[in-house]
Amino acid sequence: MELTQSQAEQLLYREALLIDTGRFADWLELFTPDVEFWMPAWRDETTTTQDPDRELSLIYYKGRRNLEDRVMRLTSGLSTASTPLPRAVHQVTNVMVTAQDGEGADVSAAFTCHRFDVRMNRADCFFGRYEYRLVRAGQDWKIARKKIILLNDTIPTVVDINAI
Amino acid sequence: MTLRLSDLIDDRPTDGAFRVNRAIFTDPGVFDAEIRRLFEGGWVFLGIESQAAGPHDFFTTFAGRVPVLVQRDGEGTLRAFVNTCPHKGARLAQVRQGNARLHVCPYHSWTFDSAGRNKAIKWQKAGCYAEAFDRDDHGLKPLPQFANYRGFLFGSVAGEVTPLGEYLGEATKLLDLVADQSEDGLELVPGQVTFTYEANWKLQLENCSDAYHFTSAHPSYIRVLERRQKEMSGDVVASVWENSDYWKEEAEGVGGGSYSFANGHVLNWGVFGITPAIPLYERAGELAERHGEGKRDWMFNMRNVTIFPNLQIAENASSQLRVIRPIAPGLTEMRTWCIAPKGESAGARRQRIRQYEDFFNPTGMATPDDTVSYENCQIGFAGTVEPWLQGYARGMTASVAGGNRFSDRIDLQPERSVLADSQLCDETLYHAYYRAWAARMAGEFEA
Repeated sequence: MELTQSQAEQLLYREALLIDTGRFADWLELFTPDVEFWMPAWRDETTTTQDPDRELSLIYYKGRRNLEDRVMRLTSGLSTASTPLPRAVHQVTNVMVTAQDGEGADVSAAFTCHRFDVRMNRADCFFGRYEYRLVRAGQDWKIARKKIILLNDTIPTVVDINAI
Repeated sequence: MTLRLSDLIDDRPTDGAFRVNRAIFTDPGVFDAEIRRLFEGGWVFLGIESQAAGPHDFFTTFAGRVPVLVQRDGEGTLRAFVNTCPHKGARLAQVRQGNARLHVCPYHSWTFDSAGRNKAIKWQKAGCYAEAFDRDDHGLKPLPQFANYRGFLFGSVAGEVTPLGEYLGEATKLLDLVADQSEDGLELVPGQVTFTYEANWKLQLENCSDAYHFTSAHPSYIRVLERRQKEMSGDVVASVWENSDYWKEEAEGVGGGSYSFANGHVLNWGVFGITPAIPLYERAGELAERHGEGKRDWMFNMRNVTIFPNLQIAENASSQLRVIRPIAPGLTEMRTWCIAPKGESAGARRQRIRQYEDFFNPTGMATPDDTVSYENCQIGFAGTVEPWLQGYARGMTASVAGGNRFSDRIDLQPERSVLADSQLCDETLYHAYYRAWAARMAGEFEA
C-alpha cells in the first residue's frame, strides 16, 4: 500500500500539533523504536555535515529512547531553560512524497517554527526543511527517520526539540 | 569615567574579602573599556592551526571588533591580517574558512595574494593617482602581533605586548595537555556551532570555572544520566559523567580543585580516572609511555581551562573549544567546536561526538541551563540596591600560594591553588580573572 499525499500531510501536521500542544507522549508514539533523529550542524556556509559519526550534529540520536530522555528533561521542571516551556507553533508546508518502495516512503517538507520565550519576552523564528522516512505499521505510518535541516543555525541561547 | 577601580572590585586579601560590583557586567563604559583594553589591547585567541592546514588555506575571526583573516601562503607561512580592503574598507574574505591564492575584493576588485601583498589595483595606470598614493603600501595590514603556541594561534591588535610565551606563562602546560594527546596534533571536528546569549561575556568566563552550579543547574541532565546508568544499551549515548562520582554530592575526599595563574588564566579540575568512557582511553598506555604516567593521568582528568580573556577548553563530558566574543554589555556570541586529537579510532571519535552534542550544544541537555542562568543573572544585575555580589568567597580559607602534589606531577607551578572535595567548589579562582582584569583596566579609572 502506497503512502498518499494526504496521509503524508496528515502525519506531519499531526506531529506538529502534538509538539505545539505539549502532548509529548503521543508525539513519541509517532516514531519507530529505532528512529534516527538528526539535525546536522553546518560544515561551512553552504553545506551541512553529512556523516554523524565523523562530523558534529546539532542533535543526533539513534533510538526513540533518547527522545524520551529529551521529553523527560523538557517536562521535568528540573531544567531552567525549559521552565516555563516556551510557546511554539509549527507551520509545515511544501509536503511532497519523493520516493516509495515496498517498506515505506520518503517525504520532504519545509517548516517554520515561531517560538515565544515567555521568560525573556522574546520571539524567535526557526526555519528549514524536513526529510522523513516513513514506514508502514499496521494501518498507520511511523517515522523511522527525521532529518531536520535548520537554516538559521546561529542559536539564540537555546533550541530544543519543541522548536525545530 | 568617574568610577574608581575599588568601586568595582573590592579585593582585600587581609580581610578575607573579595567582592565584585554588578556594574562590571552592565555598564556600557566598562564594556567599551574592556573591548579596548582586553580584547583589542592584548593577546586574544584566534583559532587553531589546522583551520588553515594547507597552502593558501584561510579562516576568519575577530579580535575584539577587528575582523581578522588568518591566511597561509603558498610556502606554508601563516600570517594574520586585518580582514579589510585598504581601498574602501570592505571586508575582504566573506566566509569562515576557505582556500584562496588570491583575494579579490568584491567591491572594486583590488586583489591580494595569500601573503597579503597587493597584486592589482584595477585600472591603476588610468587612475591619475598622485605620487602620494603610489608611496603608500596597498597590501593588507598585518595584525600587529601574531604568534603560534603549539597550534594555538593568538593575535593582538595592540603592538606593544609581552611575548606570547610570557603572557601564557605556566598555562602553556595546560595547552600541552591538549596538544600532546596525539603526535599528529589537534583538529576541530567539522561542524561549527555558534550561539548567542543575552548576558555579559564574563558570565561565560566564570561558568566554565564554576563547580558549584553543576548539581543545581543541571539536575535534568543528571537525571538522564541516572536513567542511562540503570539501563545501558547500544542505543543510548554513554557519558563519562556516568562513570564518575565527581558530580555526586556524597563523594568524599579530594576530587579535584583549582589552579590560578598570572594574567588571568585558570584551571578547575577533577579526577575522572582512566576509564573507557573517555575517548582517549584507547591511547592510555601509549600516552603513559610517551609522556609519563603523571602527564597521562592529567590528560584523563576533567579539566576546564580558561586562557584569558577569550579561550576556553573544556574537557569533561567531551572536549570543547570555545571562543567568547563580547558584542554588547548584555549580548555575547559563542563560537564552539569539538576539538579532538588527530588520528583517533572511528569508535573513539563517534563517542566523543555523541557525548559532545548531548552536553555542550545549545541544542543539547546542559548548556542551555547555563546560558539561561546567565540571562537571569543579567536581569538580576539591575538589582543595584546592594551592588556587591557574594559569589567570590568559597574557598577563601583553602586557597594557598603555589601548587600542590597534583600540580607537582607535571611540574605545573600555579600562583595559587585549592584542593577540594566535591562540596568545596572553589570560587577564589575567579579572583585571578578579576585581578588580571583590574590590572589591565586600571588606566580607565581615577586613582
